[in-house]
Amino acid sequence: MNSYSPTYALLIFFILSILIFLLFRPKRGWYWVIKNNLKINEKTVTEDVLKYLYHNEISGNEVNIISLTAVLKFSDRLVVDVVKKMTIKELIKFDGNVLSLTEAGRDYALRIVRVHRLWEKYLAEKTGYDKVEWHDRAELMEHRLSHKETDLLATQLGNPLYDPHGDPIPTNQGEIANLKGAALSSLAVNSVGRITHIEDKPDIIYKQIYAENIHIGSQIRVIENNQKRVVFYAEGEDFVLAPIVAANITVDILEKDVIEEENKSRLSSLKINELANIAGISKEIRGESRRRLLDLGFVKGSPIKIDLKSPLGNPKAYLIKGTSIALRNDQASKILIKKI
Amino acid sequence: MKKKSVENIISLSNNLRWQIGDDFHDHLAEGIYADASEIVNNAVQTDNQKKQFRLDSKIDKIVTSKIWGFPIMFLILGLILWITIIGANYPSSILANLFLENIHPALKSFASNIGMPWWLDGFLIDGVYMAVAWVIAVMLPPMAIFFPLFTLLEDFGYLPRVAFNLDYLFKKSGAHGKQALTMSMGFGCNAAGVVATRIIDSPRERLIAIITNNFSLCNGRWPTQILIATIFIGAVVPSSLSGLASVSAVIGIAILGIFFMFFSSWALSKTVLKGEVSTFNLELPPYRPPRFWKTVYTSLIDRTLIVLWRAIIFAAPAGAAIWLISNINIGDQSIAAWIINSLDGFGFLLGLNGVILLAYIVAIPANEIVIPTILMLTVLVTGIAGGDGAGVMFELDSANETANILKAGGWTLLTAVNVMLFSLLHNPCSTTIYTIYKETKSVKWTLLASILPLIMGFIVTFLVAQIWRIII
Repeated sequence: MNSYSPTYALLIFFILSILIFLLFRPKRGWYWVIKNNLKINEKTVTEDVLKYLYHNEISGNEVNIISLTAVLKFSDRLVVDVVKKMTIKELIKFDGNVLSLTEAGRDYALRIVRVHRLWEKYLAEKTGYDKVEWHDRAELMEHRLSHKETDLLATQLGNPLYDPHGDPIPTNQGEIANLKGAALSSLAVNSVGRITHIEDKPDIIYKQIYAENIHIGSQIRVIENNQKRVVFYAEGEDFVLAPIVAANITVDILEKDVIEEENKSRLSSLKINELANIAGISKEIRGESRRRLLDLGFVKGSPIKIDLKSPLGNPKAYLIKGTSIALRNDQASKILIKKI
Repeated sequence: MKKKSVENIISLSNNLRWQIGDDFHDHLAEGIYADASEIVNNAVQTDNQKKQFRLDSKIDKIVTSKIWGFPIMFLILGLILWITIIGANYPSSILANLFLENIHPALKSFASNIGMPWWLDGFLIDGVYMAVAWVIAVMLPPMAIFFPLFTLLEDFGYLPRVAFNLDYLFKKSGAHGKQALTMSMGFGCNAAGVVATRIIDSPRERLIAIITNNFSLCNGRWPTQILIATIFIGAVVPSSLSGLASVSAVIGIAILGIFFMFFSSWALSKTVLKGEVSTFNLELPPYRPPRFWKTVYTSLIDRTLIVLWRAIIFAAPAGAAIWLISNINIGDQSIAAWIINSLDGFGFLLGLNGVILLAYIVAIPANEIVIPTILMLTVLVTGIAGGDGAGVMFELDSANETANILKAGGWTLLTAVNVMLFSLLHNPCSTTIYTIYKETKSVKWTLLASILPLIMGFIVTFLVAQIWRIII
């Protein structure tokens, strides 16, 4: 205890804490970075190249080696090396300097897309991870699952058709449904449609859409659309978006005869002493939560009203089927009602 | 041939699946409800139930109102804790008198009459018997008061309203409103609090409630807090204020525990637990008059006796260990003294000492025996007069005598403050650890729940000790 001094002890403690923080902080901690870098191999790079080519083929953009190396987060040398090997294996081909997929390459790419979207579906249905994390986690997982495991996963999820963002999931035969609809930013004023897809890339835009509380499956009507902003009406509320954000939302224009009346609103907008009937549960409530709500009687047509408000305003208790059930406001915003 | 038809069926089913879309679960539930309500309309007549419901909603309006909701809640929970702490004193002292002052000497003289060797008599009577007797005397009365009261409230239907009132605060830290109940239950006993988390049906929130339950100051720790606060904190202020000062110190520790509970709930839900499924809904059942005797009976059998039994099973070997380490010598010192010496350096760094750390190690089975163990070990290593001999735990009737022994053991105000902090922030007792394992069936979560509070305790006491030494 001769050399002990509380100041030194504190100093050593803080240096240690900072070290541990740098090593293990989420995502950018040195430990994770090193661990992830060790995992990068040719398979990962090959699959990422295929996926990038596939997505650009769908959207009709041309890809050359320069744009490829710019987008992928690997060293240029590694990418060029892998591309060389891929042409030999006939997964991709060069037309001049434009890169495109061969038949075999497209099959492989579809398989990766299938794993990615199935895994997102799995995360949405069976785990509690936040929406904004699904994409990154699926990016890691798509390189790991084998053919057999993927089919097993699909069976367990009940062979889903769409991933939670609304993208179609390829079948194990490599068939894929076409995504119907157009970008929200391209719609004319007063057109009515249903949101079928919300793009999860880039992160920044997805987070904005997420924060606006916009749901897949909502029926919308465009109110205003110009260079500065896109305004649309859905479920009793007006939503204002920048055109660049609106471009990431896909809307399927509805035929006249399937347009539902616009008197639906969200349960969160119900006021004390108002009566309403349940009109449905949004697609955004999934898995266990959705089943629980259905079990409790939140089904189309059930009458509902507010029973109690908690002292802090959230949650509220709703009287449904003769029972008082408390729901949080963010859940209530995903249940649709028709006010009486 | 056969294989081909199987393939046909599979491709047909795939096709159909594409056609029916993914809404069919919803339609199914709707259909079932439609059928059910038709049957209800035909079969059930409703008439006089309406009146019953009115009374319910009147009570609800008051207990969840903006003005009265929180005061009523704090009043009721405070009252229950107060009745428990005050009410348990008398039966506890009667039991302690019976087990420790009467039966213990009787057993000792019986043992010497039949010529039992000293080591067997010490091991069985001073070690095993003492620990078990102590745990029963200190643990049984508060639990026998607290659990029935709490269960009565539960049976009446008030507790779901507490969860409803507090949910927003818990939501902020990623937890479930019902955690308010398991936390309150933890003030009685952490093991019972962990069992009570069964009412939380969302997996993530339930794990949060289990792992953070230990931050509720349980019945086994209240007496430690009160004793230390009376001796050391009460002594810093003028004697007219000493009662107030020590009471506020204890309440302050309990509130600090709630703060740590919220903080670690938040941290857990953002890191290791974020992948667990999270759902929320809370049913507010109608009130009903509690079935008094049935409730008292079941809460005594289900909660009190089960917890007590687990505690006894763990306390017996602990008593044996305490006696053995104080009576077996290696070289010229007992094992206890060796361990204390080697822990002294680390203890000093935390503002504690080796005796306290060793006491917390051997007293993992029950927080109730920490103070008796500290007293016994202090007498053992300092060699001052007092106590009943090596390995025999004891407690003193007057706080003054206890203070003298502790001060002779080198305790300062810093030691006292840090013992109070460490008593709040250390691993759960073995009964609770075992219960956590039973409930989660997972070694991983059990380890996390055991180690997390200990690490927090080390960090907090370390920081307090260093800053204290720099400033004072």
